[in-house]
Amino acid sequence: MGSVNLRGIRKAYGAVEVLHGIDLDVEEGEFAVLVGPSGCGKSTLLRSIAGLETISGGEISLAGKVINHLPPKRRDIAMVFQNYALYPHMTVAKNMGFSLRLSKESKSEIDRKVTDAAEILGLTELLDRYPKQLSGGQRQRVAMGRAIVRDPELFLFDEPLSNLDAKLRVQMRSEIKELHQRLKTTTIYVTHDQIEAMTMADKIVVMRGGHVEQIGSPLDLYDRPVNMFVAGFIGSPAMNFVPASVRDASVMTTSGAEIGTQEGVESVGEAIAGIRPEDLRLSDTGQEATVSLIEPTGSETQVTLRTMDGNLILTTRDRLDLDVGQAVHVMAAPGKTHLFDAKSETALKLRESA
Amino acid sequence: MNNRSDRWLAYFMILPVVAAVLAFVIGPTWDVGKLSLTQVVMGMERGFGTLDNFRALAADPLFALVVKNTAIWIIGGTILCVLVGLAVGAYLAIDSWQTTILRALILLPWVIPDVVTAMAWKWMLHGQVGIIGSTIQAAGLTDEQVSFLGDPSLVMWTLVVVLIWRKMPLVALILCAAIRSVPSEQIEAARMDGANAFERFRFVVIPNIAFSLTAVTVISMIWITAEFALPWIMTGGGPANASQIMSTYIYQQSFEFFNWGVASAMSVVNLVMLMLIIALYLYVNRRSWASGADK
Ligand SMILES: Nc1ncnc2c1ncn2[C@@H]1O[C@H](COP(=O)(O)OP(=O)(O)OP(=O)(O)O)[C@@H](O)[C@H]1O
Ligand SMILES: [Mg+2]
Repeated sequence: MGSVNLRGIRKAYGAVEVLHGIDLDVEEGEFAVLVGPSGCGKSTLLRSIAGLETISGGEISLAGKVINHLPPKRRDIAMVFQNYALYPHMTVAKNMGFSLRLSKESKSEIDRKVTDAAEILGLTELLDRYPKQLSGGQRQRVAMGRAIVRDPELFLFDEPLSNLDAKLRVQMRSEIKELHQRLKTTTIYVTHDQIEAMTMADKIVVMRGGHVEQIGSPLDLYDRPVNMFVAGFIGSPAMNFVPASVRDASVMTTSGAEIGTQEGVESVGEAIAGIRPEDLRLSDTGQEATVSLIEPTGSETQVTLRTMDGNLILTTRDRLDLDVGQAVHVMAAPGKTHLFDAKSETALKLRESA
Repeated sequence: MNNRSDRWLAYFMILPVVAAVLAFVIGPTWDVGKLSLTQVVMGMERGFGTLDNFRALAADPLFALVVKNTAIWIIGGTILCVLVGLAVGAYLAIDSWQTTILRALILLPWVIPDVVTAMAWKWMLHGQVGIIGSTIQAAGLTDEQVSFLGDPSLVMWTLVVVLIWRKMPLVALILCAAIRSVPSEQIEAARMDGANAFERFRFVVIPNIAFSLTAVTVISMIWITAEFALPWIMTGGGPANASQIMSTYIYQQSFEFFNWGVASAMSVVNLVMLMLIIALYLYVNRRSWASGADK
């Protein structure tokens, strides 16, 4: 186990640069999740760390050792691929023991390690099967088994759950998390599913277009997004954005209605207010809106509201007595409005007292 | 719905193929089999149901040499063809502009007609005027010009080299396609598992292309067994039968000496041998065909 330190990682395919200088530190034993929209370079970054891609600039170190120029086999990193990449001609046991066999460990040692790993992952019954004879979830576990028998410094996962159905995904999510708590191996995990990121990560790294947008704990990112992209990316349903102005801690929409209050913000004429759906309340005053859609999910209800400044989504755990077409007023809970610069889309600084 | 009539329609549609196979494959084979059990004297059939032809074959002092040469031709040819094809195919599977060009060029030996190939090589290998022998001599590697096709100890292997030059390209291309279709994640997983280039090839690529490899081996073996024009034009079985193989010997016996009975007996031996080799090969490789799926 070791910490990972990335300094200014660049990667270009020909003339096209897809990673524009990534800095990232993952502490020993930490579970870091890379999220971002498709094509933002998550896989490329992961594969660069693994050594499957050569980087065009920067420095990668693992456990204090620079590993830029080492081939994958000498980096002591295990990787789990999206489509499992099991060897179809080998049994589960052979698949898991392959790396040990290559490093010339004794047969009894290989058997012991494979049996141990199989036990942890609940694969004991399946050791003699071929990958073809396994379900998706079982294959995923074998792929993880192949990684853990090696006891590497670092685990890399590239969207390991995206081929599974929703229910299995939730189950495997907690299994991976439990496995991490048990083994405490430093892990970097790629996903574009922000729920996966929120639930699993000690540290989330949000990427966009080959840049890191923000690094922080899940709640950090949720509560204090540094820009509109992170604010909109983390959280589901996504944050509502409305053009607004701020005067004396009061946030007004362009139609002049007050939609929230926020202490500690300078007055600005032109800004974007961001309000999470669960922070939006029905109230007596505030922004006028018309109910256009009501979607109860059982535990909570999602309401779509039409306003002069665009649609707003509101979620609540209360049972509401609302009808489609009804006119209401909405407002953000006090202090729950995020404000962003209208041009740069970065979060406006709050004064220290807030 | 109408399963029954669908089935008959299906049978009806494959009927022409079945008829053609019966007429052009099973029919002649049956005839040859019958002929091999019939005594023929001076082109006249003299009684069916005798093993005389096979006895004559066994007594033929040349037969042992022909079998040995044929073994070099078929087994040596097939193994070398597949091994060289595998090596070339693996090289062609690498992505670069050189291999892209080579992949197109390599089919050249394949499209040249047999007769042209045979004549061209015959002259290049000629004992006095051949460019290959004279080049080697000029380079000081041999004192006199080697006559590749005139030397009984060289001629068989020389033929095999030409055979490989001619047959290998398609083998290489088929294997190249198979290698390129091996999922790249498996190769990458093997790299992460610590496999070097050779280990990746041996433990990941080869098992993944086992099916193509088996198929291509069987197909080359059949091509090579059936190849007649190349050895016949280049050496005609000479010098002094040193390159006489089954196909040329059968041809000589039937169409030069009119020994129909012995020739057909030899054809039967040839066929049985080939079937045995293929059966053995498929048996040995049965695991890769199933790819471990059944159990
Ligand atoms: N071999 C390559 N050659 C050229 N460009 C590439 C290559 N591989 C990836 N790219 C480009 O690099 C960018 C990042 O790709 P990458 O696979 O890292 O995205 P990702 O974040 O993993 O996306 P996804 O969530 O869809 O997996 C993309 O714009 C892609 O087109
Ligand atoms: Mg990806």
